[in-house]
This record gives sequence, C-alpha cells and structure tokens, in this order.
Amino acid sequence: MNTDPLEMLLRETLREEASAEAGRLDGLEQRVVEDLGDRAPRLGWLGGLKQLIAPTRAGRFGQVAVVAATAAAFLIVGALVGKDLPLFGGPKAESRGAMLRSTAENELLFVLPAMNAENVSVVGSFNDWEPTPLSDEDGDGIWTARVSVPPGRYEYAFVIDGRWWGQDPLADEYVRSFGEYSSVRYVGGGGDGV
Amino acid sequence: MYRMQDEVTLLRASLQGETAAWGEIVTRYKDAVFGLCLGFLRNRADAEDITHDAFIRAYVNLRRYRLDKRFSTWVFTIAANLCRNRLRYRRTHPVFELETDSGGGTDPAREVAREERHVRIREALQRLPYAYRAPLVLRFYNDLSYREIGDILNIPEGTVKTRIHRGKAMLREFVGEERDSS
Repeated sequence: MNTDPLEMLLRETLREEASAEAGRLDGLEQRVVEDLGDRAPRLGWLGGLKQLIAPTRAGRFGQVAVVAATAAAFLIVGALVGKDLPLFGGPKAESRGAMLRSTAENELLFVLPAMNAENVSVVGSFNDWEPTPLSDEDGDGIWTARVSVPPGRYEYAFVIDGRWWGQDPLADEYVRSFGEYSSVRYVGGGGDGV
Repeated sequence: MYRMQDEVTLLRASLQGETAAWGEIVTRYKDAVFGLCLGFLRNRADAEDITHDAFIRAYVNLRRYRLDKRFSTWVFTIAANLCRNRLRYRRTHPVFELETDSGGGTDPAREVAREERHVRIREALQRLPYAYRAPLVLRFYNDLSYREIGDILNIPEGTVKTRIHRGKAMLREFVGEERDSS
C-alpha cells in the first residue's frame, strides 16, 4: 500500500479534476458515432491484399487461393526445415503425419511452422482470445500445443511475435473477422463453441 | 444491446462496421482517456477535443490493434500521441485557461485546506515539463505499470522510472516554492 503523501495527493488531485469535468463527456459516444458516419476501419496494405485475393467470406475461389498459397508456404518451409513434415519422409514424418491428421475426440492440436519466431501463441474462442503458448522444444521451428475442449466449433488464430496469423493450413474453414482471417475447427460433433 | 458484451466481442463488431458497438467502447474508456488528456494538456477544452479525436482515430485504425496488448494501452498510446501534437501546436498558438480554480467544495476549514493542496499540485503540474508530467499522469491517474508507460510514451522502462522519480522531486520543489510565496 502506497503511503507517499505526494503520490496520494497527486492521485487525488488528478482524479478530482477529471471527475469535476466529467460533464464534458456527456454524449461523447453519440458524437463519436455520428462523426464516424459510414466510415469503416481502414484496411492496411496487407489487409487490402487479402481482401483482393478473397473479397468475401463466401468467396470460395479466393479462399481456396489463400489456402493453397498458405499450404504451399507451409510445405516450402517444411522442405527447408527438411525431414520433419510428412510429405518429405523424414525420421519424424510418420508420427508427425499421424499428429497432423488426427486429433482426439475432444482436443485441439495446433501445429505451426514458424522458423525464426520467438513467441507463438494461439488465441481463440476456446480460451476467450487469451494467448495459449505453443512450444518448440526441439528447436526445429515447428510449434505445437494441445488444448482440451468440449465438442464444438472453434475460431482461432495464431499470434507469431505479436503478429496475427489467421490462416492455419490445418483449419476446417476460414472466416473473416476481427479485421483479419481467423481459422475454424470443429471438434467432435461440431456444435457451436464460439 | 452492447452493454453486456465483452470487449473482444465489441471490437469484432466494431470492425464489422457496427459503430454502436464502438459507442460502447467509448463509454467504457472515455473517463480514462479524458483524465489522461487533461493531465497531459492542462486544458479542459483541448482535453475534450483530443478525447473525441482519439476515439475516432482508434476506430479508423482498429485493424492495427493487436490482441497481445491491452486495448486500453493501445488507446492511451493514440491519445498520448495526439496530446503531444496538440502541445506542439500550442507552443505557437497558446491559450490561457485558469486550470487552478477551486472546485467550489463545501465550506469547512478542512475542505478548504484540502482544496488548497490540490490547487498547489495543479499549479506545480502546470509548471512541470511534459516529459515528466506525462509519466506521472499515466502512473498516478491511469494506474499503469512502468512497462506500459514506456510502451505508450515510446521510452525505455528505466527512463520511465527516472522521470517519475525526478518528476516527483520537481513537484515537491514547486509545491514548496508556492507554499513559501503564499
């Protein structure tokens, strides 16, 4: 508990002067909303590019293109890593392939190649969008995490060194939300876990 | 409609263009942002303007917000940058506002003495350079950690600690001078 009289006085003064003027904030919400009018959050160059590739949520062709590109990138990284991914027949290929293909009835398995990343986490509807870290214990650039969940539909995205990565090649589908793509997986019976 | 929604849901809805959801975000953060702006700028009208502009700018740039940071820190960063720009503008376009008037509290002597202490602090804050005032406001009004303050002001954590320490020393000195001169 802080007992520095100056700090207490400073805190008290700042709070009091702000609360004395709080009336100025009446209706600020309405003013902001009115001033925004029809404006929408601006797309960054990357977002613009993504939108160009996949203009709508229902734009299957665009989505397929994005998925294909992402999968290709995944495989290229796999080739660079060598040996670890199923199609490249490395020593761990069989077990990794089995991991990639199957998840337990009530488990989400996340696998993501991110070669030079320092921190990889997954955020999603299963963890209230709070980061769950992925680990890369053998340092091969393949990050993994397992999360037990009840059957349902789960939206999620990876956060790689603070950057959003919403297109998991292993996802069942993608949705455009929160300004970027998010991945979707169904666990067990499929329900709605969001 | 949005009052019971969690923050992420509101942000997602805002990104879909639902400005009413953004209105709820404004409701939740307007006091904190206004207090920050008032503390930084020492001018009520400017603080009101910048609070409004900060929420507009945050909405327009919402796609830049990353979930690994607290949303409040991100909004405070925008507000702090706008405040800095406004203070630069005020160097060449000054306004004078009496920020140290008493709040008109009730009349007991204790209340008067308390108000006098607040007036002295407000006068001292006015004299304090922005580089020292800003971390003090973020620390003692917004209750932020040194790290968050460093992120907002784009300075190292060690510098934040130094500025808070020196800022407090300067405040003590100014308050003492004012007491001696009165």
